[in-house]
Amino acid sequence: MARIEFQHVDKRYSGAEGLAVNDLNLDVKDGEFLVLVGPSGCGKTTALRCLAGLEDISSGDILIGDRVVNDLPPKDRDIAMVFQSYALYPHMSLFENMAFSIRMRKAPKAEVESKVREAAQILGLEKLLDRKPGELSGGQRQRVALGRAIVRDPAAFLMDEPLSNLDAKLRVQTRAEIARLHQRLGTTIVYVTHDQVEAMTMGDRICVMRDGLLQQVGTPQELYEHPVNLFVAGFIGSPAMNFLTGRVAHDGAAAALALDGLQITLSGRAAAAARTCGDGQTLTIGMRPEHLDVATAHTSNAVRVPVLVDVVEFLGNDALLHATVGGTEVVALVPVARGVAVGDRVELAIADDLVHTFDPQTDHTLGNTAAA
Amino acid sequence: MTAVAAPLTTPRQGRRQGRLRRLFSRSTVNIILVVIGLLWLLPSFGLLVTSFRPAQDFFSAGWWQAIAHPFTLTLDNYRHILQTGGIGDAILTTALITVPATLLVVLIASLAAYGLVFLRWRGRDWVLVLIVALMVVPLQMALIPVASLYRSVGLFNSIPGVVLFHVAFGLPFAIFLMRNFYTGIPKDLLEAARIDGANEWMMFRRIVLPLGKPALASLAIFEFLWVWNDLLVSLVFLSGSSHVPITVAILGQLRQFGSNIDLISTASFVSMIIPLGVFFAFQRYFVRGVLAGAVK
Amino acid sequence: MTAVPSAAAPRARPIPEVRTGRPPRRGGVPRSAVVVLFMFPAALLLGAIVVYPAVASVARSLYDKNGNTFVGADNYRTLFGTSDILVAIRNNAIWVIVFPFLVTFLGLVFAVLTERIRWATAFKTVVFMPMAISLFATGVIWRIVYETDPHRGVINSAVGTVVDVIHPPGLYALPNIKPISGVSGAADGSMVSAQTVQPGGTVRLGLTGIPLSAVPPAAQDARAAATVATAISGLVWRDFSPGGHVGTIDPGEKGLPGLHLNLVGADDKTVATTTSGNDGAFRFDGAAAGTYHVALDASNFRTAFGGVNWLGTQSLTPTSSLGTTGQALLTIPLVDLAAIMAMLWMWSGFAMVVIGAGLAALNREVLEAARMDGASELQTFRYITFPLLRPVLIVVFITMIINVLKIFDIILALVPDSAQQQANVIALEMWRIGFGGSPDYGLGSALAVFLFVLVVPVIFVNIRRIRG
Repeated sequence: MARIEFQHVDKRYSGAEGLAVNDLNLDVKDGEFLVLVGPSGCGKTTALRCLAGLEDISSGDILIGDRVVNDLPPKDRDIAMVFQSYALYPHMSLFENMAFSIRMRKAPKAEVESKVREAAQILGLEKLLDRKPGELSGGQRQRVALGRAIVRDPAAFLMDEPLSNLDAKLRVQTRAEIARLHQRLGTTIVYVTHDQVEAMTMGDRICVMRDGLLQQVGTPQELYEHPVNLFVAGFIGSPAMNFLTGRVAHDGAAAALALDGLQITLSGRAAAAARTCGDGQTLTIGMRPEHLDVATAHTSNAVRVPVLVDVVEFLGNDALLHATVGGTEVVALVPVARGVAVGDRVELAIADDLVHTFDPQTDHTLGNTAAA
Repeated sequence: MTAVAAPLTTPRQGRRQGRLRRLFSRSTVNIILVVIGLLWLLPSFGLLVTSFRPAQDFFSAGWWQAIAHPFTLTLDNYRHILQTGGIGDAILTTALITVPATLLVVLIASLAAYGLVFLRWRGRDWVLVLIVALMVVPLQMALIPVASLYRSVGLFNSIPGVVLFHVAFGLPFAIFLMRNFYTGIPKDLLEAARIDGANEWMMFRRIVLPLGKPALASLAIFEFLWVWNDLLVSLVFLSGSSHVPITVAILGQLRQFGSNIDLISTASFVSMIIPLGVFFAFQRYFVRGVLAGAVK
Repeated sequence: MTAVPSAAAPRARPIPEVRTGRPPRRGGVPRSAVVVLFMFPAALLLGAIVVYPAVASVARSLYDKNGNTFVGADNYRTLFGTSDILVAIRNNAIWVIVFPFLVTFLGLVFAVLTERIRWATAFKTVVFMPMAISLFATGVIWRIVYETDPHRGVINSAVGTVVDVIHPPGLYALPNIKPISGVSGAADGSMVSAQTVQPGGTVRLGLTGIPLSAVPPAAQDARAAATVATAISGLVWRDFSPGGHVGTIDPGEKGLPGLHLNLVGADDKTVATTTSGNDGAFRFDGAAAGTYHVALDASNFRTAFGGVNWLGTQSLTPTSSLGTTGQALLTIPLVDLAAIMAMLWMWSGFAMVVIGAGLAALNREVLEAARMDGASELQTFRYITFPLLRPVLIVVFITMIINVLKIFDIILALVPDSAQQQANVIALEMWRIGFGGSPDYGLGSALAVFLFVLVVPVIFVNIRRIRG
């Protein structure tokens, strides 16, 4: 068991222009399940590979436990890794695959046997130990990759998109399996994914990256409720948050957002944020689709947005409305009972304390800065 | 591309064309290919039959006439070769050159290809370019200097000298072939092994070498046939030796082609048996090697 | 975007400002040592037996036979001034021009045709098999195939069968047959009566050099021909008997039946034909007035096909009027084509397999789309398949060029000593000069360097292929 620290870590690939990882500072607590998430090319996999020792870092320090491991080869870092492709040795049986690492460490035969059996039992692979990887289904291979890591009994598991080669149903199952495994073993896990749903459901904490830069670290709830900038706000949550950008218009105590010839009256938190802006300054408001609903006579303390409905996607209990306000698309998740049809002009409403506000110049969140 | 507009045919024409095509694609092609196949077999078959005939028969009638009179065929030529032993000794010499050369090429090339694919070092790309360039350097370029070199270190007229020459000139192609195969091995596998605690040698021995088996088989067959069938290298570096490989041994008989035809044909056929056996047993790997060496 | 939030990891310890010790040592063994470990055996052998000697050859080519005297480019001048070497260069040129085309073409045809048959594997095995046989054994095999005597060589036997059907050998295809009385031989192989004859006249044509066993068994004793007023009649007979006289019909002398005779007018046109009877008598009826010759048609004496000397020194181009150098450069010897055939037998399988793999790798849907667009099978091949296959064809072509430049064994094994001078190639000449009776290492090295220069373009093509 160990905590892991990145301290001012830079990684520059030779020949590449920018930094693949730019001044990364990150502290993974002992036993924590930390997810690195971000779009492809954001540096999350590079950070993981630096941690594994598969890449040298350009500057900074990486610590596992209390050791600086910068110059240690992978095998001496006491970590196990699960690869996206699983990287099972195709010419070895499952048993040999799982035994390989401890055999490399010259473990006695009996220990190899018992450790592999134990891992196989945890993952329900006992009956397949004589098979070769080629004879297994995708899900089974995935479990072997996990088993190979378990056998090591390492200080930390590193997982690089381990679910991306599975179909949707299996992915959900395996997600739960890995979570269970984490509870059972209590080992630190650093997990890389581009899928924010995976990140939200699995991580104790999530670290969002973009262009080599860390954007925000926090629990799923913190990220959801208090994104620090436009990028995190748009990346976390599904369907993605709606953004409307307009100019602030002050009218005495009240504030409004002017866009495309219509005025949206702001109230509550949003109005407070607008008040910090000068008259005519631009402001972006963010509204999660699931927080929007069709306005009724009883709606109060809400920001109202008049829209034209383009498409209605039926999801069962709810319907997903694709609508436009001015030239901007707005998505809303509303109960089917609202009975909205294509071509309707409706007024969408959102509780004013759920409205996020951003400065479009800096992309930073205004007013309600997250407390991680 | 004007021709694309053509097939605006009437139904009847269409039917006739269809029938024609069917005829062409079935019987005609089959017949043509059967004939070509037989033609291709004919020369080797001629040698085979000739090797079972007494030398004087060669002058009186063609081998195809001997098939009609099977009783004129005889095992005497083979019996003779076995008894006198010269050809047996030559086959043994060929094997003593071929087997070590094949093993060495395979071993050294897999090592070097590993170094080119999985190790990162400065100048690696240039070494690859050099290897590709060396692939087509004619071995004539080396004959005279290596002959001098061998004379000074006592390798002239020795089997190890011939073996080393074959290995050296086999290496560029062999390294290239293995490199092409190794680049297809997912890097993840090696990284997994590295995290599992394997050092470079272990990764080579336990991961890359076993995975490379198909390529190794192709390469080994290639090299085996190449060296077994060589004439020039042995002619230059071994012709002064009392033990010469089969090709050099037969060359000495060619001056009296007609009167020595019994010996020549029999020895030639004997020299073909092992490579043909290897070919038929491992044709799949041989074809794969040909393709890997050619396309890429 | 520079939004690093306040949530950044706490700075737990002071960070050393200066980074040291890169690249790191891995597992105790320095990385460079590992590289050396893997590369050393190959580097040693390639260096000692390929690279160093290649450089040494270039240097050696600038010295004389014994290596004592620096002679500059003299060896290269000798190279292009010696007709034997020019012959070798010319032959390599013929090989390079002819062989790659033929082998690629054959390979393409085979690859396309085998796509339509069920026993493709068997066919491919048969055609590919010669690849496993040494060039040397291939030479021996084809030397038997090319035997000149149609009774021994299968090609000449086949050619002879065809020739003998088109031009059957005559009834009197005898080596020693000759005219002896009343008739004389002509340049075209026929025999013509010594005297002219007019309607109502007779001629007697006496031949000799015919063994009794060669006279058809139906032949009867010769009799002088009876004169017929409106016809030209005569006799053709074996004018030979012990104690007999030339020109007279001695007792026991046989008429020669079955001879084809032509009546030739004054303008050398044949106006009538006939065949001699069992007693050797013949008659041309109804000849118009005038003077004629009687001729024995050349077909009577035409010998059976004797075989082409495929491995001989004859040329396909008439060059006898040229000087030595001209001949060396411009002759196309038949033996080259014979050797090319043998090499085709060996390498067509290679071309077929490589091109076949290229065909198999083509996207079937593209071909089907072309068919849907209305292209015929031939058009699909011409406009879709062929262009898509071109890279593969080029690979085969280049491989064959290299192959043919280094050709050696097959010439030595296939071509008899008597014609090897005419079939000489660079590699063979290099071996002769460098390792023959009186080795000349200087000239031999120059020839090797010349061979190397020829493959240099291929090196660049290959490197571009690898990098691109």
